[in-house]
Amino acid sequence: MGLLTILKKMKHKEREMRLLMLGLDNAGKTTILKKFNGEDVSTISPTLGFNIKTLEHRGFKLNIWDVGGQKSLRSYWRNYFESTDGLVWVVDSADRLRLEDCRQELSALLLEERLAGATLLVFANKQDLPGALSKDAIREAMALDSIKTHHWCIIGCSAVTGENLLPGVDWLLDDIAARIFTAD
Amino acid sequence: MAMRQRNVLLDGEENAVEMEDLEEDFAVSNSSDADAAFDTVIGNIEDIIMEERFQQLQQGFMEKYYLEFDDSEENKLSYMTIFHEYIELLEKDIEQQLIERIPGFSMNSFIRSLQQHKDEVSGDIFDMLLTFTDFLAFKEMFLDYKAEREGRGLDLSAGLVVKSLNSAPSPPFTTCTASQIQ
Repeated sequence: MGLLTILKKMKHKEREMRLLMLGLDNAGKTTILKKFNGEDVSTISPTLGFNIKTLEHRGFKLNIWDVGGQKSLRSYWRNYFESTDGLVWVVDSADRLRLEDCRQELSALLLEERLAGATLLVFANKQDLPGALSKDAIREAMALDSIKTHHWCIIGCSAVTGENLLPGVDWLLDDIAARIFTAD
Repeated sequence: MAMRQRNVLLDGEENAVEMEDLEEDFAVSNSSDADAAFDTVIGNIEDIIMEERFQQLQQGFMEKYYLEFDDSEENKLSYMTIFHEYIELLEKDIEQQLIERIPGFSMNSFIRSLQQHKDEVSGDIFDMLLTFTDFLAFKEMFLDYKAEREGRGLDLSAGLVVKSLNSAPSPPFTTCTASQIQ
């Protein structure tokens, strides 16, 4: 690691957090980002690159990074790990066929050294769909209870209606703030 | 402290003053050497990033990649790869220049002392270094460069652009823009 990278890590700005949102394609990452930012979510096309939003919430400045989840893009995720305070893992709760794929991708991320210090929030998204699995079923399918390396929490939500997005982000903020800003 | 007060009482003021001087010398010498070395590095970094040579390095990098950048909300994955390359380029250049300018310079020990003085590290120079690591600022810089390069920008740095024409084929817009502004 060179001078600039180290300097950036050292000068972690007070009340500023970097959140990285990942998950399989069509999980609803960009919809969550836009909904949270108060934007129109009626026409969202698959993300081939990445989006960044800088939001103010509860006096915190949140830099939220949303990276495309298609299989061919996942090898690029590593470019975004550095300095991540919170990892938001988004699951399409109605996509039963790909739950195992989803679990594997998450468990691979949790082994990443550069994400070792990040808090994990799992959004069990698309709870508004009739075929959606419950938050608890997703928790089991993702084997969340076996995670000992990260603080984690799972929240059922709907990006389209906006339900539970705020409580999820609030939990994440509280956990990160308790780890980082009180430790300083 | 109690000892010295007793000395003052016994031997008068002169002795006490001497002792104080002695103490100060001892206390100051070690840390001031380290501080001076630290300040030298900082001063050199300031020089390095303000020099035209460094700005040309940045400009050359933008020239290489600016066509890749578009002013759309979604970013291409390639931006991040280019961003990492940019940071590495600047880091390597700064380190190389410091090695040339300061005998025996070691980046590792400088970084160690930076981390030891974590709380005192502040000021314009660090803010400036930190802007190099800000992705959104990086993207903005490329879009500005592209707009300027394609003649869409308000070119307020016409002087700087004219200079670089020696080595590049001359785009006709630069002088135009300058005269239009006036």
